[in-house]
Amino acid sequence: MYEFFSVSSVFRWQDVVDILLNSYILFRLYVLFRGTNVLRVIAGIALLWVFQRAAVSVGLIVTSWAMQGIIAGAALIIIIVFRNEIRNVLQAPNLKAILWGVPQKSVIAPVDSIIEGVYELAKNKVGALIVLPGNEGLKDHIQEGVWWDGKITREMLMSIFWPDNPVHDGAAIIKGDRVTQVGTILPLSERVDLPSYYGTRHRAAAGLAEKSDAMVIVVSEERGEVMVAMGDQLLEIKDNIDLKTLIDEHLDISPPHDGPAKKENPEFLIAGLICVVCVCAVWFSFSRGLEALVTMDIPVEYMNRSSTMEIFDTSVNNVRLHLSGSGALIKNIHQDQIKFRLDLKDAVVGINRFAVTQENVSLPPGIFLRKMEPLVIEVILDVPVVKELPIQVDWIGKMGKSLILEDVELSPNSAKVVGGSRVLEGVTTLYTEKILLDTLTKTGQTVVNLALYPANLKLASGSSNTVVIKYKVKNRS
Amino acid sequence: MNRLNPFYCIVVLVLSATVAFGDTEGTTGETDTPKLSLQSAVMCESIQGYSPVNSSVIFSISIGKVACFSFFNPVPDKTFVEHRWYHRDKLSTTKKLSVNPPKWATYSSIQLREADKGPWRVDIIDDSGHKLETLRFSITD
Repeated sequence: MYEFFSVSSVFRWQDVVDILLNSYILFRLYVLFRGTNVLRVIAGIALLWVFQRAAVSVGLIVTSWAMQGIIAGAALIIIIVFRNEIRNVLQAPNLKAILWGVPQKSVIAPVDSIIEGVYELAKNKVGALIVLPGNEGLKDHIQEGVWWDGKITREMLMSIFWPDNPVHDGAAIIKGDRVTQVGTILPLSERVDLPSYYGTRHRAAAGLAEKSDAMVIVVSEERGEVMVAMGDQLLEIKDNIDLKTLIDEHLDISPPHDGPAKKENPEFLIAGLICVVCVCAVWFSFSRGLEALVTMDIPVEYMNRSSTMEIFDTSVNNVRLHLSGSGALIKNIHQDQIKFRLDLKDAVVGINRFAVTQENVSLPPGIFLRKMEPLVIEVILDVPVVKELPIQVDWIGKMGKSLILEDVELSPNSAKVVGGSRVLEGVTTLYTEKILLDTLTKTGQTVVNLALYPANLKLASGSSNTVVIKYKVKNRS
Repeated sequence: MNRLNPFYCIVVLVLSATVAFGDTEGTTGETDTPKLSLQSAVMCESIQGYSPVNSSVIFSISIGKVACFSFFNPVPDKTFVEHRWYHRDKLSTTKKLSVNPPKWATYSSIQLREADKGPWRVDIIDDSGHKLETLRFSITD
């Protein structure tokens, strides 16, 4: 229970969007590919993924490695093997059909006309081969015949397969309420268990049924029998009622009183729920599965400083945060998502020591703070003041033994600096940059810059950073 | 000497010159009470014959010591002055020196060591705390 609340408390809006978006994508894949083998293969891959995760969790190294390899290749396999089905889906008339619409058998095949035609052919012992495609494409299995595009009627079927018709030997393809192709050549079955009296027409029907989800109706020329090939089966049809039942099932045609929407709604609802559950499971697997640790240096942000004071020094500029969270979240975390803020509302002039707490740290959901360094931050605040200070030359090196630097004159001999009042209390002199004595042999002058110390001192406006030094050298007596 | 840092091993040689310069005409018959006046002050390598030797603004650490010479004229009353020695703005030592009428020369000096390199100053302060002079110099190689 605690775990549940800890998870729910760290749910970000991005996570909700993430889950819903992927659930919808999964749901759309189901809607678009339902009834095809693609969905079954995807389900198989999903099962493999579950096994792979289970294998990882119990430490089956080789098994998890092998499954991981299969899953990695699965995407490629699906695209190659099911390219026709994917193409059919992507060839939808518009984007809405892919994103929102439910593929409908918009034009319901006139089953009665087909049955009447089939039995009329059987009665007259006219051989016929009628293909009712399923959800899979047939392009890879058949040799295209003549494009027909005629509306299905009993007479139409009779005329197509009439022995004198040039295309009567091939198969007729029916889509919706139309015969789209005639004279189509179907692949022959290579099964050896088919009865010997089955001719080429039966073998062609069985061949296509084996290779696709199409339903093929065969009318025997010799015996006038009607048979249906579906999958690996060749079914003998006793009467038109049986044939109608099979065709209705194949074309997913429901009785009029039980409309498609009513039937599909619970199915889609269940499918949608399953999609959400699956994506949630994957999300939790990613977000909660692996604990990761990371250390980040975050700059300290100072807030609510009094406008009359300035920060003159701090003990640290960054704090080191030891963070933990799921591997996926830790991997994607950026420094700018983490804030470390120090409130200077109660700070006073001088040294302020702040004990840092978790309240100073702002973390994205799902990331936890393990440790902070340092635990105390010193901030020196001061009121800026201007002070005029004398300038002194900082000589270094060694002058010739026979020489004496008798006098030095500086121009200017003082400068105004801006700094914290407390800092400037202890500063009574400004020094120049170091000047080397070794090269001084006679009276002369040089120009140097000031070396402001402490570093937070600044020259006041109007003060020059350069100093002209006139020096007088004499020989030692 | 009471301000001398225990870690700081400067030996302050104080030779309060007890020599009056013989001129007793320093006390004049003026009605206004004369004030203590610093007539001259220099940094030098040593004192010889009550005078500074080799006054300069830089001193090599090899000479071993450096002195601050100050000459007061007039000195209306017996009083004292302080020589405050600062190394980079940090007070190193303070020496209290007595000054006697009618005029008086006095000096203080420090022994030098390696750590003393850098800019120095000596503030000469009278008994009421007024700064009479600041002498700036450097200790170098």
